[in-house]
Amino acid sequence: MLTDRFLRDRRGVSLEAGERARLEAAISTTSTVESRKIIARAGEWLDQSTLLVEGIMSRYLDDRDGLRQLVAIHLPGDFVDLHAYPLKHLDHDVGTMTPATIAIVPHVELDAITEEMPELTRKLWFATLLDAAIHRAWLFRLGRLDAIGRVAHFFCETNVRLQSAGLSDGRQFTLGLTQADVAEICGLTTVHVNRVVRHLREEGLCTFRNGKVEILDAAKLARRGQFDPAYLYIDDPASPPPPDQRPRR
Amino acid sequence: MTGVLSSPQPPETEAGVATAEDGVVLLDGPDGVAVTMTPAAARSTGESLIEAARRAEAQLAARRS
Repeated sequence: MLTDRFLRDRRGVSLEAGERARLEAAISTTSTVESRKIIARAGEWLDQSTLLVEGIMSRYLDDRDGLRQLVAIHLPGDFVDLHAYPLKHLDHDVGTMTPATIAIVPHVELDAITEEMPELTRKLWFATLLDAAIHRAWLFRLGRLDAIGRVAHFFCETNVRLQSAGLSDGRQFTLGLTQADVAEICGLTTVHVNRVVRHLREEGLCTFRNGKVEILDAAKLARRGQFDPAYLYIDDPASPPPPDQRPRR
Repeated sequence: MTGVLSSPQPPETEAGVATAEDGVVLLDGPDGVAVTMTPAAARSTGESLIEAARRAEAQLAARRS
């Protein structure tokens, strides 16, 4: 199913069968998009949102010199621009980083879900708040960490997110990004990222080659990047959520 | 639950580390500093830092006297 990875393994918000069926029914079209294509531009009126089924997408802003800062990376299962539902236009561009498969959900369908299914609506809200939590972590990364820490933090975060989507075994994953992309994510130059990647490899923390990341020492990499996955709200079967966070019927 | 917010960030006491790579200068740390500069920009920044450090030391000396 197209929504299989949506909120997969997230704490207290796994989709019930009826909710998943409703979300699937809300999809009007699916399409494949080439790498490095703009899907939505800042300021454009939007009456639909995009669920990423396969591939990697980004949200980004360019400065006055045309230099780019990626402000979010989206992975399979993410609702890339669900926040466009209430906002109706974005304050940033959205594009594909790799070839991608996307599913389109018209906002009229989200209107109907909001009216008919409050619990599914709460889960959609959760997805948007999860994006906000990730944004906070990205602010911390850029504001407090040095170059090595920033890249280490990004690799740790992506590993956990892809693991949750079933696309990483926790040790290695295909990222499909270049060092220049990582530079635009971490606010560094490519030469800086190149040196950081070499340092991470030489220190036995991780490797990044041909778009693939292999984590050699997960604990050490997390320590170097001051990474704590709590903000990703991954479900831990060993610790059930408190009563007020259990799914409501 | 309540707590006490810490005071604003104190000045860094550890020096950043500058290295040369592929004809540019990389400055890492302290904290969130991570910049790449041309040699000319790095040299000018270094001179500016030394001059600012000299003035800051003079300010501290004036405060103590």
